[in-house]
Amino acid sequence: MPALIVWAGTAPAAAQEQTVPVTELLTAPARYDGAVITIEGELVGDYGYRASGIVWTQLNDDSYVRAPLVEGGALTGANTGVGLRIPAAEMNGLSPPGGYRIRGPIVRATGQWRFHDPNRQGETYLDVASLEVIESGKQLEEGPNGLAVILGAVLVLAAGATLAQRRYARMRA
Amino acid sequence: MLIRPAGSDFRIIGFYLGRVFLVVAASGLLPLAWSVAGREWGPFSSFLLMIGVFGALGATMTVVGSDDQRLDWGHGMVVVAVTWLVVPLIGAIPFMLSGHFASPLDAYFDAMSGLSTTGLALVQDLDHLAPSLNFWRHLLHFLGGQGIIIAVLVLIAGGGAMTLYYGEGRDDHILPSVQSTARYIWTVAVAHLVFGVLALGIVAYFVLGFGWTRSLFHGLMIFFAGFDTGGFAPQSTSIGYYHSAVFEFIVSILMVAGAMSFAVHYTLWGRSRPAGRGGERRRLLLLKNLEARTIIGTFLLTLTLVLFGLVVMNAYGEITGLSRQGFFQVLSAHTGTGFATVPPTEMVRWSGLAFAGMAIAMGLGGMASSTAGGIKAMRVGLTATSMRQEIQSVLLPHGAIVDRSYHQFRTKELTPALARTVLMMSLLYVTLYIVGAVIGLAYGIPLQAALFESVSAGANVGLSVGVTDSSMPVLLEITYIIQMWLGRLEFVAAFAFIGFLYSIVRGK
Repeated sequence: MPALIVWAGTAPAAAQEQTVPVTELLTAPARYDGAVITIEGELVGDYGYRASGIVWTQLNDDSYVRAPLVEGGALTGANTGVGLRIPAAEMNGLSPPGGYRIRGPIVRATGQWRFHDPNRQGETYLDVASLEVIESGKQLEEGPNGLAVILGAVLVLAAGATLAQRRYARMRA
Repeated sequence: MLIRPAGSDFRIIGFYLGRVFLVVAASGLLPLAWSVAGREWGPFSSFLLMIGVFGALGATMTVVGSDDQRLDWGHGMVVVAVTWLVVPLIGAIPFMLSGHFASPLDAYFDAMSGLSTTGLALVQDLDHLAPSLNFWRHLLHFLGGQGIIIAVLVLIAGGGAMTLYYGEGRDDHILPSVQSTARYIWTVAVAHLVFGVLALGIVAYFVLGFGWTRSLFHGLMIFFAGFDTGGFAPQSTSIGYYHSAVFEFIVSILMVAGAMSFAVHYTLWGRSRPAGRGGERRRLLLLKNLEARTIIGTFLLTLTLVLFGLVVMNAYGEITGLSRQGFFQVLSAHTGTGFATVPPTEMVRWSGLAFAGMAIAMGLGGMASSTAGGIKAMRVGLTATSMRQEIQSVLLPHGAIVDRSYHQFRTKELTPALARTVLMMSLLYVTLYIVGAVIGLAYGIPLQAALFESVSAGANVGLSVGVTDSSMPVLLEITYIIQMWLGRLEFVAAFAFIGFLYSIVRGK
């Protein structure tokens, strides 16, 4: 994902819009405090529709966004994600968030980065002003492991037979 | 002279281990049913295989083993130690087959972390993990926190129950028999389960705006991890995922409940509790308990250290953020839970007093015979009391009588033998923390991070500053696994098992 990280200083927020990788945000969150930035990634988990007309969700920006594990993607470590606070009006038409067998929508979220926001008792998140869908979510497939099923069933039957035989022997004794 | 174990020793150990494995096989039916309900056929396969292995092993050992002779202290300790090594090994099968772990060792690490209620995790792409697998991760917390052995005692009461019970690091003797005490512990757990899942689910649905199935899912997962002071979470950003002070408040109640000893639970909620003013008096008397006073004191001390440290670092610009974030992290550390609302990339920068406060809180842990790990408040309190009494005996005139008592539900005597035992156990924990830190240092990890992670593993906490990662050195990973095992068993059963192995080799 392209990243343009050139500024960390005192320019007005409106002039600060830049695409920032989430790993960079997590490593140096204070550097972007108050800046208007853009982050890209997959929406995962839940869409929490609050009574205040705000939706909370999480955006992940890691290798699993483009190469899900169930499609043969490589393991590259833990997820890297940040919280998004989105006006409910921006949520129209979004496919379900990512989770098991679901690759969530890949979006470009632009808004103000709030690090230790005093209005939310120290929470850190992106206060989203606009949300653009880059790629809609999709269903993924994962089938059973045939060998594990057969082996498991055989072992369960063997265990049951062993215990039944023991019970029978004790009853006879 | 060291006596080599006889065949009968192996048979009785095998018999009880077999029973334990059968109970765990039965508990595996829950995630299996979940995977069927969710049509998660990949996880279904792996749960079936896991149940098969547990079942076959359990059945074989039950048949080959024998309960003709009485389970003595040494047998019980070996059963407990082996249980806590083998259950995560077989319990890791669904993790291994999930594709979310880089190696079988990583899967074993997470299973041990789950069972020992630690919460350190090497799972990758957690946010796309199957719900049934997430359920199994959290169920491991519940099995480990409430005690597999306790479950066995409830379901299959038999001779030698006492040694199994103590082997798991418990010393509460709440009711006349160990079986009735075990049943009481599970009753408390189930009552909290109903309250916890409902409370969290209601908040998730009405406040967080989740769908009702997802609300119950989050409620159940966070209950298991909170009440059993585990620390796993269904999403990669832990409790920070929820962005809700109300949710954190309920989680805090569950963490405190989990870190309380079951004797305290019994005093608060037990049926024999006197009604009316008598009951109130009994609850107030809890505050006279050395353990309760100690844990309140150490919590306030570590909270002060962390808050002061964060102020010095200027981490939060105002008091509400400082209080909410500081309070939650310290409570999570002190109860041995390991939930976080601050990411590891940020916590690694907590330096000075903030770091010291967190490390001390983790190292001290919760109450004895709770689901929390660490040195435990009772030992800290007894060590401090013993030191105070020693100083008094030096300062007072020759022949003066020093009060050697302490209060824990009733007035008891702090004997020199008890003081020595308590001090020895505390030193063992400190040694465990230091050894893990030294091995971390050997791999070039900075002192602060190495110490933090080592204490977190040894005290079964689960907070991380990023050292625990799928790319960590294998030896360090094995070190943390051993630390989690030793910390959870409070050394005794583990040492007895090592002695048993030694006697097989060198005994006559």
